[in-house]
Amino acid sequence: MSVLEVDDVVVEFDTDAGRITAVDGVSLHLDTGETLGLVGESGCGKSTLARAIMQLVPMQRGSVRLEDTDLGSLSRRELRRMRHRIQMVFQDPRGSLDPRMNVSALIGEPLRVHGIGDRAERAREVAEAMELVGLPAAVADRLPSELSGGQQQRVGIARAIVTDPAVLVCDEPVSALDVSIQAQIINVLDELRDELSLAMLFIAHDLSVVRHLSDRVAVMYLGQIVETGTASEVFGQPRHPYTHGLISSVPRADAESAARLRTARRLVLGELPSLLDPPSGCRYRTRCPYATDQCAEAEPPPEPVGPADGLHAVRCHHWRTIVSAAPEPQESATSQELAI
Amino acid sequence: MALLEVEDLHVTFRTASGPVHAVDGVSFAMAPGASLGVVGESGSGKSVTARALLRLFSITDDVQISGAVHFDGQDLLRIDERRLRAVRGGQIGMIFQDPLTSLNPLMAVGEQIAESLRLHRGVSRSEAAAEAVELLARVGIADPEQRATELPSSFSGGMRQRVMISLAIACRPRMLIADEPTTALDVTVQAEILLLLDELRRSEGMALMLITHDFGVVAATCDDVQVMYAGKLVEKASMAHLFDRANHPYTEGLLRLVPRFEDAHTGRLHPIGGQPPITGGGGSSCAFAPRCSYAVDRCLTEVPPEVAVGPQHLSACWLAADRAKDATEAGRPWRRAQ
Repeated sequence: MSVLEVDDVVVEFDTDAGRITAVDGVSLHLDTGETLGLVGESGCGKSTLARAIMQLVPMQRGSVRLEDTDLGSLSRRELRRMRHRIQMVFQDPRGSLDPRMNVSALIGEPLRVHGIGDRAERAREVAEAMELVGLPAAVADRLPSELSGGQQQRVGIARAIVTDPAVLVCDEPVSALDVSIQAQIINVLDELRDELSLAMLFIAHDLSVVRHLSDRVAVMYLGQIVETGTASEVFGQPRHPYTHGLISSVPRADAESAARLRTARRLVLGELPSLLDPPSGCRYRTRCPYATDQCAEAEPPPEPVGPADGLHAVRCHHWRTIVSAAPEPQESATSQELAI
Repeated sequence: MALLEVEDLHVTFRTASGPVHAVDGVSFAMAPGASLGVVGESGSGKSVTARALLRLFSITDDVQISGAVHFDGQDLLRIDERRLRAVRGGQIGMIFQDPLTSLNPLMAVGEQIAESLRLHRGVSRSEAAAEAVELLARVGIADPEQRATELPSSFSGGMRQRVMISLAIACRPRMLIADEPTTALDVTVQAEILLLLDELRRSEGMALMLITHDFGVVAATCDDVQVMYAGKLVEKASMAHLFDRANHPYTEGLLRLVPRFEDAHTGRLHPIGGQPPITGGGGSSCAFAPRCSYAVDRCLTEVPPEVAVGPQHLSACWLAADRAKDATEAGRPWRRAQ
């Protein structure tokens, strides 16, 4: 049973230059204890999708069901009562914390807002959350400005988990942190997911981090999910040329590094088109080396890859014939081994 | 004959809370056309080293530089401002993480490039304008005649970095210093910029010094790598050699720190405990010892010297020789540990 069901969500915005569709018919689901990684480049709509799921931006179409409740059908008051079950961790820990509140007040704030527990219970919950995210009790009285970047992000995470949510939405939670701090925060999220059976939507542009944390992944391009499946399917045997291009773009510390970047350059041509004037048919066709007339005429529907009841799906007219889009055989062998 | 030779470079900032030894006795050399990646965490001194080569500090910085920076027969630390200005942007080009801070927001990009050409090479106005368009084309900007007339704000992040690169290579420098040039960019754009830097280095015969926290970025663009910690070079090697034979515990820590794309979930990551010293180097011990899981007594009382552990491979660690032996026997210590 899915704890979160997102169905055919469309989010449109008016900008100075005209109306854009930032999220264009996205569906996804999350099971308890599962992490779904959402990847894509700036402007692909992944953060807007997160905000739509959190009911922070209005949707033009579609629904978000949290634990079988349609969030869009709730009154403001009812929605506020549901909010403690879905929480968010932001990119900039400092900017999301009130500089005048100390650590324990910051972590206890969501409990007070939602009217959860009495004073003593809240203090217990705060202490427990601090322990879960690895904050020493000694920092409880400190202000955000007296904390390191890593500690600030731990406070951000503690605030999100203190209300015992079913779903945690993390929007680039480590991209503002130095590498050694990143590793600590990734481990915290990894441990929390296991200990609290959280369902996690993990948004990041760093594919290595996403692969490390995610059970499944969804790849977004110009507002649509172009490929989704288990992390080992999508990253090990990508079917969409864009997914393959993204993966090849990751600079790896090995001797094939530059060669892989040249592959990426062949698979992702030119520049990102404007959302004001998205391409007809397949959104990716203007940058795709395999595009044909068919791609301009018809929008490819999501098609299952492999068994029809499997999780791997791709939106590409030509995925069956693009054999060259498969990565080096050695790597696909590894991903098959891992899948067993 | 080296193009650049840095000898015992020290950079000390005097701050309200005392001196910070940001660069603490760094020596290295680069041959013409060489490519060198400099890797470390924030605060390791890698950017300060690069800035010190050209004395690029803010006038509000209370900074002391000593040592020598021999470039093309002159010591950049000792020449006067006028000659140094000719080197900056002339013989040595620089690009930074955020191109917006180095571009004039109110001037068309073509004009900015042309201005640099007139200043450093003394070409005529019309020649400079034509060459600016050629340069924009060379860094992969489509429709360069039109784009040359536009302001930096009308370019995307990746295109802006291309403009910055065209400006940096305009005077055919013998060396390009790139400080985290792709950190703010999307991964497909990063791939293009890294390939562009690599291709330009080869076609122009420029030396490239690339500063980054990402070994993957170094692997894609550089033959050699040096790792900095607390203002010191702790390891130097060819990148190809380092894949298999990382010696210094800090290098090993950095390599194990980040999830590697080719690994699916391999359990928890291995953060390096503790934090780099905020006062930089200058101590009488190995600066990494407090964070090092291999540290022995000697590490806390004496600064380790650079030890040769392989061909063109140096490691500043008291355990370097033993670790080199282990690596030869087992290979990839930073992988084995996972």
